[in-house]
Amino acid sequence: MSLSETTKAYQSDLAAYCRTGTLPAIPGIRQDNITHYRRLVYNIVDDMLENAYPLTYGLLSAKEWKTIANEFFCNHPCQNPQVWSMPKEFYEYLVKSRHSLLIKYPFLQDLLWFEWIELELFMMEDKKAEYTTNGDILFSRLVLNPEYQLLSFKYPVHHKNARYITITDQSDYFAAAHRNKEGSVVFTDLSPALVRIIEYLAEGPLSVKELFEKFQTEYSIQLDNEGQRAIIRFVETAYQQQLIIGFKN
Amino acid sequence: MTGIGYRKDFAEELLQSEILKPSFIEVAPENWIGVGGYWKKQFQKALEQYPLFTHGLSLSIGSPDELDYDFLYKVKSFLKETSSAVYSEHLSYSKCDNAHLYDLLPVPFTADAVKHVAERIKIVQDMLERKIAIEIVSYYSPVAPELSETEFITTILEEADCELLLDVNNVYVNGFNHQYDAKSFIDRLPLERVSYIHMAGHEKVSDTLIIDTHGEAIIDPVYDLFEYTIKRINRDVPVLLERDFNIPEMEELQSEIDRLNNIKQSALKKIDHVFI
Repeated sequence: MSLSETTKAYQSDLAAYCRTGTLPAIPGIRQDNITHYRRLVYNIVDDMLENAYPLTYGLLSAKEWKTIANEFFCNHPCQNPQVWSMPKEFYEYLVKSRHSLLIKYPFLQDLLWFEWIELELFMMEDKKAEYTTNGDILFSRLVLNPEYQLLSFKYPVHHKNARYITITDQSDYFAAAHRNKEGSVVFTDLSPALVRIIEYLAEGPLSVKELFEKFQTEYSIQLDNEGQRAIIRFVETAYQQQLIIGFKN
Repeated sequence: MTGIGYRKDFAEELLQSEILKPSFIEVAPENWIGVGGYWKKQFQKALEQYPLFTHGLSLSIGSPDELDYDFLYKVKSFLKETSSAVYSEHLSYSKCDNAHLYDLLPVPFTADAVKHVAERIKIVQDMLERKIAIEIVSYYSPVAPELSETEFITTILEEADCELLLDVNNVYVNGFNHQYDAKSFIDRLPLERVSYIHMAGHEKVSDTLIIDTHGEAIIDPVYDLFEYTIKRINRDVPVLLERDFNIPEMEELQSEIDRLNNIKQSALKKIDHVFI
């Protein structure tokens, strides 16, 4: 490498200043102007985080938000060259560092994950699946939308305003998030049994009858009429919402 | 030909607009690599209507860190998939000590930095199997300079044998911020290497500082410098109107494009006339 240690050090000093605000002596710099670099760099990061996590931004006080955004950028070396993906590192940083705000707001980790998944699914690369729209919901093999993610939460961040979530809301919540043909991300509440139905379909196309059989075999139970109707209702709704995108004959 | 920076803010309008008619669109590959869904569909429709130029943000060609080869391969695939006519990057760094900063920091004007950057440009050109254009960035403070700015730039261009993306607004901004004559600066550049021109607005934040925001209309002195530049270059070069924030009505964007086209045509006609 042609770069001298001195030049490297100056570049490192300027970059570190943008992240931390601590500016060592660098020859030739204009002190009055150099501050704009930190402001501009920080604004980009802050804007991206605010856009990715609007609910968290609305929940936290201005001081709390500024503190965690600053801490994150100061302590965490952002790895992704694609700035839209950087907010995922913010989530990971807070979880890994067991940030005190995750204790103050016990549902914050779920909320951040919920917000990130919405953005990630909205932006993610298209995934192809082989299917046809000619089929019968009750008898044809059902094809799951590949642009989906199963989610589990301890708090109902996906259907309750975070400001009103309390410790008494703690439970096990399951949901599926998927991207429909229009590009919107849709969240669907799931029971644990319906999570398994999605997981079966994720392995490959199955008919409703095959779903019943697989479920009954796994749990060594016989689905009663009500249980079968619940699965059929779910499959019909999932098809309407494009969580199930079609059929394989 | 004059193009426009493709922004999500007016992506839908651009597809249907009878008013805004750029000759091409420009995107940053990193904003579109691996993106699907709604925006991918919009982008694909735009690509059916307009040729694509690309202008990178994250390659960090001036960084002390190693080049990100995985990212570079993705850029190469993107350029191929989109049949991009041009790939350009900034003469700056945006990653250091293994941390992305997502903005453009000035490289020290030193002889070792010249060697370092030129070597990296050559590697990038080899990997991409095409020449790239390097943009002179606006900067608000020098960093440990040993060479003059023009010496720094011209030597890199020569050693790397790459093209020059001449951002006329950046030259104006730098001339103001560092108190030099922008026209003389342009005179000292290897103008035969200019393959692409950027034009944009800026914000004067104090009596001594302009910030390159891309959020305002181009001001008259920058149009004047553009005319001067075209006359000095003396050939037709693609021009891009950059407008990233504070997006105005389509009429206003098109009127800026029209003005750029008119200035270029008029400047080149006068030169033709002189030579004839």
